Amino acid sequence: MGLLLITRFTLLEAIRRRLFLAVTILSILILAAFAILLSIVIDVSQARNVNGNDTQLYILGGGVVITVLAIWMVYLLSSTLTIVFTANMISGEVDAGTFAVIVPKPLTRVEIVLGKWLGYALVVCTYTALMFVMFLAVIRWQTGYWPTNAPYALGMIELGILALLGITTLGSSLVPTIVNGAIALMLFVGAPTASIVQFIVKLLNPTSQQTVQNITTVINLVIPTDALWHAASFYLLPPAADFVTLGISSQTFDTPFTSGQAIAPALLVWVVLYCIALPALAVLRFQHRDL
Amino acid sequence: MPNTNEVPAIEVEGLRKVYRSLVAVDDVSFVMYRGEAFGFLGPNGAGKSTVVKILTGLVAPTKGTVRVLGQPVSNLEMRRHIGYLPELPTFHRWLRAREFLVFHGRLYGMRGIELEKRCSEVLELVGLSGRDNQKLGTFSKGMMQRIGLAQAILNRPDLVLLDELVSGLDPVGQRDMRELLRQLKSEGMSIFLNSHQLADVEALCDRVAIINEGRILKVGAPQALFDEAPVFEVRVNPVNKELLHRLGSIALAVQQDADDSCLLYIEVQKEEQAADIAEVIHACGSRLYELAPHHRSLEQLFLRTIDTSRRRAPIESTQP
Repeated sequence: MGLLLITRFTLLEAIRRRLFLAVTILSILILAAFAILLSIVIDVSQARNVNGNDTQLYILGGGVVITVLAIWMVYLLSSTLTIVFTANMISGEVDAGTFAVIVPKPLTRVEIVLGKWLGYALVVCTYTALMFVMFLAVIRWQTGYWPTNAPYALGMIELGILALLGITTLGSSLVPTIVNGAIALMLFVGAPTASIVQFIVKLLNPTSQQTVQNITTVINLVIPTDALWHAASFYLLPPAADFVTLGISSQTFDTPFTSGQAIAPALLVWVVLYCIALPALAVLRFQHRDL
Repeated sequence: MPNTNEVPAIEVEGLRKVYRSLVAVDDVSFVMYRGEAFGFLGPNGAGKSTVVKILTGLVAPTKGTVRVLGQPVSNLEMRRHIGYLPELPTFHRWLRAREFLVFHGRLYGMRGIELEKRCSEVLELVGLSGRDNQKLGTFSKGMMQRIGLAQAILNRPDLVLLDELVSGLDPVGQRDMRELLRQLKSEGMSIFLNSHQLADVEALCDRVAIINEGRILKVGAPQALFDEAPVFEVRVNPVNKELLHRLGSIALAVQQDADDSCLLYIEVQKEEQAADIAEVIHACGSRLYELAPHHRSLEQLFLRTIDTSRRRAPIESTQP
């Protein structure tokens, strides 16, 4: 019961914060701007090329590219929101002293941490899902493209958000808010570095690929957000079979930004465990922390 | 003085808390009984708040045992029956007063109409009725103390732990809180009071523990703590060397007031020596204007005890 009370309280707190209002308004504005700009781009494309079916195919193809870019932006927005919103999840309350009247109440410290985690998870995952669907809806409306595997793509992105939430939850139980936020941001921003390096090495010196691959694997285990984005991008693209019939190899899409393969099952299992283990470690730490 | 057969509200045995190399609490032991008001006195940094935090589960002890209402501190059912107000409380500023109380009431397991009714009652008790919809962020320091006390007594606890209750309150507020505590005590609530306000502790508490540098120095009823020799205030004129010398020969100590040279404080072995003091004064040819027992305040005892402990660290108990 205590867990649900804390979750409800966390939801209420999140909604009441001015940050939430600012994010909501700005998100609507971004979506509106995106819709308007996309509409202009489509109109211009159609005006330049009046060649019937080719135009539609061209626009559909453009829809694929725009989908990947737009959902990447959603991922970036959601991740930033997660870090900003949750960096002070525990440390902020400890520093402010607001835990001093909550912890002595008849509820366990486990309920407090997990209740806050659940509340924030609901907020950030709901935001992510809404933005994901709305951007795809706009793209579908303008270009006719809707990823066949959209739910899987959303699933990968939500896992990425939960992985980040796990990092900030654990960090908040260990270090001050600003340190936690800095660590989470640097991990999130630094994670794609491995993909970029791997791509360059593949082009310049394929024999060194294995070493880079190993390093990338380690980085993905430490901070799986980039791997999850690549997985999401795979599901945002049309099915591989469609490309094969066009004579395009799936490896064409193995770029720093996209992936031509689904996520490895072992990595997926790791990510799920990661999303469970980090909050669990936060609980363990908080259990023994003097307030 | 509470009956020792009464049920303990708090039992602390051999309590020790060490932060890295700092010993915050050093072998503290005491018992507080149900229905009594127990005061915890000490200078800043004495370890008072650390003891309270251990009692409420905010801090884990390094060593020792603690039982509250007969249960370990981790017992959730026990926590339904205690209330706690920390020193300089901070609450979520975005909450409105009633929302805040409803949230804490729900944490206690209260629900529905009972909770709503009780919220109204405590708001009135602490002098905040009519402020239900006011955000805590707009509250003054004194109002924060009041709403803090409100959440501490919301569940009608058997035991309430108060850390510097009147901090931030004006004299009227302090008086109101004192009256409220008396009322709660008369209703059977046990009160554990950490305070610098010696007058409050003296007026309200059945027993007092004086703590310094993490160790309890004295425990007992305020009056029972005065185990020093009786002191008389004597107003006499003139005061000369012969008089002081002769008084010094029959008394343990003679001290002249710094601001009033005709006022003497004479410490004797027993109260019956008052007559001897009067006789010496008359024999020396001085006029005796006043001879009365010197009222010793808890403040003086407290300061004297702390000063003594800084020279040595005795642990005295006047508990049976």
